[in-house]
Amino acid sequence: MAAAATATPSSLGVLLRGGLYFLDTTPPDDAECLSVGVLHLKLLSAFLLVFCLLWAKCLSTGVLHLKLTVFYTGCLLWAKCLSTGVLHLKLTVFYTGCLLWTHNCLSKFSLLLSKLNITIKISMSNLRGSVGYIVTSCLLNENHDFLRLAINAVRNDIIGRNETFQCLALTLVGNIGGREFAESLAPDVQKLLISSSCRPLVRKKAALCLLRLYRKNPDVVNVDGWSDRMAQLLDERDLGVLTSSMSLLVALVSNNHEAYWSCLPKCVKILERLAKNQDVPQEYTYYGIPSPWLQVKTMRALQYFPTVEDPNTRRSLFEVLQRILMGTDVVKNVNKNNASHAVLFEALALVMHLDAEKEMMSQCVALLGKFISVREPNIRYLGLENMTRMLMVTDVQDIIKRHQAQIITSLKDPDISIRRRALDLLYGMCDVSNAKDIVEELLQYLSTADFAMREELSLKAAILAEKFAPDLSWYVDVILQLIDKAGDFVSDDIWFRVVQFVTNNEDLQPYAALKAREYLDKHAIHETMVKDFNNSNPSFHVCEDFDAHSTTRQGAAKSNLGNIQQQRAVEYHALSMKGAALMDILSEMPKFPERQSSLIRKAEDAEADTAEQSAIKLRAQQQTSNALMVTDQRPANDTQAVNQPGLVKLPSMSNVERSNAEQGATHANGALTVVDPQLPSTPSPDLLGDLLGPLAIEGPPGTGPQIEPTLASDLEDGANADALAIAPVEEQTQTIQPICNIAERFRALCMKDSGVLYEDPYIQIGIKAEWRAHHGRLVLFLGNKNTAPLSSVQALILPPSHLNMELSLVPETIPPRAQVQYPLEVINLKPSRDLAVLDFSYKFGTHVVDAKLRLPAVFNKFLQPITVSAEEFFPQWRSLSGPPLKLQEVVRGVRPMPLSEMANLFISLRLMVCPGLDPNANNLVASTTFYSEGTRAMLCLVRIETDPADRTQLRMTVASGDPTLTFELKEFIKEQLVYIPVPSVAPNPVPPPNPMTPQALPTSPPTAVSDPGALLAGLL
Amino acid sequence: MIRGVIIMNDQGKPRLIRFYEFQLIFGCCWSILIRGLRLACGEAAGAGSKHLQNRAENVSNFVKVDSLFGPSYDHQLAGCAACVQNFCNIYFVFIFDNSENELAMLDLMQVFVETLDKCFSNVCELDIVFNFNKVHTILDEIILGGQVLETSSSDVVMAVEDISKLEKNSNSIIPSIPGWQGR
Repeated sequence: MAAAATATPSSLGVLLRGGLYFLDTTPPDDAECLSVGVLHLKLLSAFLLVFCLLWAKCLSTGVLHLKLTVFYTGCLLWAKCLSTGVLHLKLTVFYTGCLLWTHNCLSKFSLLLSKLNITIKISMSNLRGSVGYIVTSCLLNENHDFLRLAINAVRNDIIGRNETFQCLALTLVGNIGGREFAESLAPDVQKLLISSSCRPLVRKKAALCLLRLYRKNPDVVNVDGWSDRMAQLLDERDLGVLTSSMSLLVALVSNNHEAYWSCLPKCVKILERLAKNQDVPQEYTYYGIPSPWLQVKTMRALQYFPTVEDPNTRRSLFEVLQRILMGTDVVKNVNKNNASHAVLFEALALVMHLDAEKEMMSQCVALLGKFISVREPNIRYLGLENMTRMLMVTDVQDIIKRHQAQIITSLKDPDISIRRRALDLLYGMCDVSNAKDIVEELLQYLSTADFAMREELSLKAAILAEKFAPDLSWYVDVILQLIDKAGDFVSDDIWFRVVQFVTNNEDLQPYAALKAREYLDKHAIHETMVKDFNNSNPSFHVCEDFDAHSTTRQGAAKSNLGNIQQQRAVEYHALSMKGAALMDILSEMPKFPERQSSLIRKAEDAEADTAEQSAIKLRAQQQTSNALMVTDQRPANDTQAVNQPGLVKLPSMSNVERSNAEQGATHANGALTVVDPQLPSTPSPDLLGDLLGPLAIEGPPGTGPQIEPTLASDLEDGANADALAIAPVEEQTQTIQPICNIAERFRALCMKDSGVLYEDPYIQIGIKAEWRAHHGRLVLFLGNKNTAPLSSVQALILPPSHLNMELSLVPETIPPRAQVQYPLEVINLKPSRDLAVLDFSYKFGTHVVDAKLRLPAVFNKFLQPITVSAEEFFPQWRSLSGPPLKLQEVVRGVRPMPLSEMANLFISLRLMVCPGLDPNANNLVASTTFYSEGTRAMLCLVRIETDPADRTQLRMTVASGDPTLTFELKEFIKEQLVYIPVPSVAPNPVPPPNPMTPQALPTSPPTAVSDPGALLAGLL
Repeated sequence: MIRGVIIMNDQGKPRLIRFYEFQLIFGCCWSILIRGLRLACGEAAGAGSKHLQNRAENVSNFVKVDSLFGPSYDHQLAGCAACVQNFCNIYFVFIFDNSENELAMLDLMQVFVETLDKCFSNVCELDIVFNFNKVHTILDEIILGGQVLETSSSDVVMAVEDISKLEKNSNSIIPSIPGWQGR
């Protein structure tokens, strides 16, 4: 095998395979590893080389299976190399491999670690140096099992005599900082830190190590009584130890400053010592500045104390600060500049924090003003950033306003980071007096701004315009200009908002209409403008000719608008989900993001289907007008409405109807909705939900039939038909509608393993599944989306006879905004296509919601794709001769699809398509393994013969070693190919329809008949 | 706290990645981060050019990480900033949260680079590629668990030499392990 290095590639492959096998099965014991390694040093390096090549090749071909094996072997090799000391390649290979592949092979990795363990044991016990430590600290998670094994070795090093090892061990612990480490090592580390016999090198590491352990597990590390020790540590002369101790102090003080008052004067002393440059060793002087890091850290620590009470300390502190503020100049040397300004900026922050005398504050602002016009970009950046911070802390706006011109110039800075800071600052300093100037500047800047910034810019401009508008017509002007200039970047909120304002203010309408018209008459208008225009439309009665405009524009825009609009909605949704981080957005428009996000979430879930699309639009309008009724002109005033979204809808019911009536009259494609005005206590029904789930439409029986014809004629397409046909299985909600298409969700989940199963305004049920052979593990995630708890939560599994299912206990209530998980174990006993049903109910307020959901523990989840070669396939195929083991059927009414699509479908059903087995290109051969407790692993073979002339029919042959399995698999594939709505063919344990919606059932037959899918199903 | 250290070459290939919160490596999609950083570094250069251009004189070293990911991306580095500096054709990136002073980070980077220079005598990309374990050791002597450990580069060099001495010794120990001659 030593010849490997010189052999030709092909023979290499053979050799290698043998070698890999050999290595893979080697028993992992120390002596073996070592001796084999040392003996076959040359062999191993040859292997390593080949391994690298192979690995690179695998990477490019993407054969995952192979990659793992190779990686695994590579690691093994490494383990051996480490012991042999083939220094050059070992780590590079291992390390790259790990970093790239840990993702995919964590499970393999942990196996491997038992072997790695040996290596590290060796390297630690035999003084093998830092390699083991480095690898461990780079690659291992604090929760990794391996660390438990290593604790003892690490501890021995920490309490041992050798300082280098102490350092290595402390570095490892400090970088990982796991719980087990904290429990067993924290006392030792503390001892090291305060021991006087240790070298500073060890002590400073001990300080940081302790800090890390404390940060990660504050409950485990005991720091009671550490205030005296900290004070002692601060007397330290060595600046390295002092820097680390100061970091530790920052962490301790930030948690509980009361206990550490005694440290405050010491900090000031240290600061004094540094500022006066007394007794600072040469190596800690950085470009002439005495340890800027320690100065910065000390001032950070001081910022955690609320005030400095002792007059003497206070005086000396201010002296030092004054000295820093006055004594810093911009110099030639960049590094010196950075260091001195680091200290200076920290001093500024401290002054701000201490809320010093007026004089000192204005001195600070003056300094900042100087900074923002300085040549050095970093200092400009920080000047702007600190000015923004200063706005929040103190009342210095007037002084800052003097620099407004300079800040506006910074908007044109060559550096985008600086431009962003300038924008933030302008946004923060804006008030009634300067709003007009600033907004106009922003608008002007908008046309030249980077694309990356435009969205933020337009949002900020819109918020400012709204917040500080001197009169509303100006506001409308601004927004229209905004949309004109940055159409793509204007988020939906902005135009919703302007529509809302205009609708609320009748006096404003003529003006707004006129303005909007002007813009519309321009040639290149943006679609957002059209949207804006459309949505304002119902309220712009004043202009008759608008309707004409609107309808033409709408028609042109609608076709391409849909997807784009949805896209944007999704993007914005994510933005608004960030919540606290986007403080500025949310604080200024408290109402909008909140309401908007729920709206968008619904829109996101809806199909990109034209009929539904118009429903979304319609509802968007509806929602807007809903909000109008309760919205005061000042957004800040309606925080009450935010907290009670339910209330917003109630008074506006009549409005919904009115606008709907208008919609119905003006828009040809507007779907009609009927809301019963006599039921004011029910929340406004979700229009989209109505369209998707017609069975659950509420209202007096008299109105039901009225709706159905409209719907049936409007929604004659497959997706909807499907929803109609499946409806009996899942929809029994009374007043709360699911906001997603459950059938669609279920079907998606049949193909993948995680996703949302059900969602309504209050709850979201997600599912995550893992399947291994005939075992499955489902986890249900029940998320309460509301700010109130959900009570009486019940979940019941109705398993079919072939599945063994166990759901752990569901607690009664789900706390607000919380997500709870329920694991569910599934065992497949025998092949069957029956479905499990989850009967789920909860109570929100007075509503009881009861949903019956099919669980995606379907037939194909127990399949495992397998590739068979021609030699394996044909004997098997022949041996299974005739019924009942081999069944053949001619299937008609197949959804026409090209063969490649069918192959994809098969793959998604976990049937491995084996190309090349059948000489006829129109045929498809697939193989898979089915797992159940009854059949164990059973090979299934499928052959599909299609007719290129008539794609709607095909002949299917299914073979397996079990008659039931053959039959079930055949039916299953047929279902997928024909796409018959499930309940009409599958002998499901269909739960009895909920008696709470009696009027729902009679309406379903006519709709089912009207759709082609159901007709087809009936024929078949 | 310092969240991570990245060294990359002028084509944006990462040469060293070190995060101090382990989950970050897998959680935050560092490939996106790297791409963002690459864009940030090459901002002055035309988009799409293979090599990053040296950052222009009049551009600051700081980038907000949020702006790299775009507003809607949910990552674990929210609120963090990165400081980017190039030395010849190697880019150094420190990612840190708001409890650190920005300019101090820039200084620390300078210390790191100076130390590398001392250890490798005029450091180049290949030194980092082939001696990355040594680079890790150096970094470990400067930053520990996300905190500044040592700022005097001469002290760092001394500590690193101690460790590499140990490594050399340990390699020379191999022959004395009993059993290897037996085969």
